[in-house]
Amino acid sequence: MSASHNPTRDTASARLVANRVLVTLLCAGLLAAWLLPFATMSPNRLASGQTVGLSEALSAWQAIALLALSAVLAVAALRRPLPRELAHGVVLLASLGLLLITLYSLGDYAQRTLVEKSPSARVSQGSAFWVMAFCCALAAIDAFQRASSGWLLRLGYMLIAGGSVAMLFASGHFDDLSIMREYANIRDNFSDQFITHLVLVGSALGPALLIGVPLGLLAHRHVRLQGTLFSVLNFFQTIPSIALFALLVAPLSALGNAFPLLGEWGIKGIGAAPAIIALVMYALLPVVRNTYAGLKGVPPATVEAARGMGMTARQVLWRVEIPLALPVMLSGLRIVTVQAIGLTVVAALIGAGGLGAFIFQGLGQYAIDLVLLGAIPTIVLAVIADFTLQMLVVLSKPAGTRR
Amino acid sequence: MIELQGLTKRYGETSVVDDISLTVEQGEFCVLIGPSGCGKSTTLKMINRLIAHSEGKILVGGEDITTLPPERLRRRIGYAIQSIGLFPHWRVADNIATVPKLLKWPSSRIAERVDELLALFQLDDEGLHDKYPHQLSGGQAQRVGVARALAADPDVLLMDEPFGAVDPLTRDTLQAELARVHRQTGKTIVFVTHDMDEALRLASRVALLNAGQLVQYDRPAELLVAPANDFVRDFIGRADLGLKLLSRRRVEEYCRPAQRTRNNAIASAPTTWQVDANDRPMALLGGRLGESETARTVVNPEWTATPEMSMKEALSRMVWFRVTALPVLDGEGRLLGEVTMSGVMGHRS
Repeated sequence: MSASHNPTRDTASARLVANRVLVTLLCAGLLAAWLLPFATMSPNRLASGQTVGLSEALSAWQAIALLALSAVLAVAALRRPLPRELAHGVVLLASLGLLLITLYSLGDYAQRTLVEKSPSARVSQGSAFWVMAFCCALAAIDAFQRASSGWLLRLGYMLIAGGSVAMLFASGHFDDLSIMREYANIRDNFSDQFITHLVLVGSALGPALLIGVPLGLLAHRHVRLQGTLFSVLNFFQTIPSIALFALLVAPLSALGNAFPLLGEWGIKGIGAAPAIIALVMYALLPVVRNTYAGLKGVPPATVEAARGMGMTARQVLWRVEIPLALPVMLSGLRIVTVQAIGLTVVAALIGAGGLGAFIFQGLGQYAIDLVLLGAIPTIVLAVIADFTLQMLVVLSKPAGTRR
Repeated sequence: MIELQGLTKRYGETSVVDDISLTVEQGEFCVLIGPSGCGKSTTLKMINRLIAHSEGKILVGGEDITTLPPERLRRRIGYAIQSIGLFPHWRVADNIATVPKLLKWPSSRIAERVDELLALFQLDDEGLHDKYPHQLSGGQAQRVGVARALAADPDVLLMDEPFGAVDPLTRDTLQAELARVHRQTGKTIVFVTHDMDEALRLASRVALLNAGQLVQYDRPAELLVAPANDFVRDFIGRADLGLKLLSRRRVEEYCRPAQRTRNNAIASAPTTWQVDANDRPMALLGGRLGESETARTVVNPEWTATPEMSMKEALSRMVWFRVTALPVLDGEGRLLGEVTMSGVMGHRS
């Protein structure tokens, strides 16, 4: 990083290597590829199988491509000969290539091996696969941090990376993998739970914004309210999520029993109602705090000028305060969305459904593939939501100051 | 025209502004000045009701300001503050168009008015129309702020230390520009500052405030030559009172006929100017400090004066070049007359 500007760290390795993070990731990936199993072969869904190393699993061209891309990454990490900006671009492309090769090889190995095996035999991904995929992702993220790339480039890269992985899945290349066979078994249920998950997150975010933004406004206008408001919201935040879900079950079931009409609307002890209420309670603090912080960050002189020009209180709010506070408010929404996607997993415990249902079901059966079917989509959802809202934050900043 | 009648502002028991009465005539440039906390900013903000007054009356154009909704009042009064008051998310043109948009002018008229104001502040040839405030220099941002205040062509302009945050050189340019805009538009301006030189330079009337009370309301020259009390004298600065007075005076007020000759002959007058065939001064005969009366000094373009120059600057040149007189030249470089050290001493108004 800044090693070259720091004389005390101007050692031989610092003169040679420009990007130490990349070197570390590369070493970790190669070490994992050499020492850890790339895939696992098992006779059936639940039995533990025998491990398969990378050398055994890869065909010749795949191994060569893997080594070639690793070599490119190694060169990009050096101070010479590539100029820095070009090196970042090379890292972005090579790490995406490496990720795709790793994914492709796994699917390809499963296809080749299972031809002569019994139908119940399964191929799953091994630990080396996870380490390699993880290192590729980290290398790309690190390159973005270093490069002075604009938001448009990031968006393009994410679309290309996401698109190519999605295409591999859509082409049926992975259908022989254990996790995809598991998916084929529960296909209909999977889409139902996926949609339930999205609906739960959406129905928590809506009320959280409707309540939270006005509360943030109120906190900004009335200084005396702040103390009480923030300590109540802070208190919600400190309750562990499982405890809050459980705490809501009793009063809601009492309510549902006392008023059968409410019960028909879905207000009962278990299911969506307590889940949504708990999610809203968790979402309130970030929404209120960021609304408040965003409004507080608007320069007082700007507001005074707006009033002095003859704007009404409402015009000052909508034309000046909200537009200027929007980036901070959207950052709050970003925190809340990612948080809600994660917390909804836990809501499966009180019968709300969602992707968490697979995780807990899989844990109960010791079916790791089922657990992954719940966990991986959750992670992907969170990453997509995080990235999309990050883009919105950038776009909501006054033009000309975006980066 | 703005009238303040017994204007008072209280916060609890303390009066920040205490029974101020003054009238700002149409087209007047009134500067409110005083030490920090004297109530000058509060007084200004009561005029457009950003702060509500506790007692007394404010009339703008003969109308009591409390009879209008505050927003309508403010749209009729221009308001300029330090540059951070620009809206950072709007382009320069949108910033200037703020009040016309609030008044729902047709967009063609707004565009016309924006171009007119950019031209008035000499911002039109810099391609600033579509820039955002953070892309402007301090001086440009300040001009945009004043242009925005003038956008809806208000009769009255309120300015709260508008040049407080810019460097001295830019401030000098901005002051000259504001003086020009005031002459061109004839607006009534109320201007708050704590800088006495700025006040003396711009004001047609100065209101000096202390501890919420009006101490003296007068023309700048009167303030200098007839300070109401010791506070005024101290605030103006006793030490350079004379120089401040001279900074308000122009060379033409002190200019008197010069003795001229075509040859080297020493005349009886203490200073004689040797001129060429075009009446341009070549040399000063006599009048050089510390040398004999018969000295001949060649005129240097640096130690001449023009009728528009301030007497402070003329005096400064005399001191610096160690001469007792400066030739006053017209636009062609011809000798109009002279200003002398003894003339500065003898003149009193």
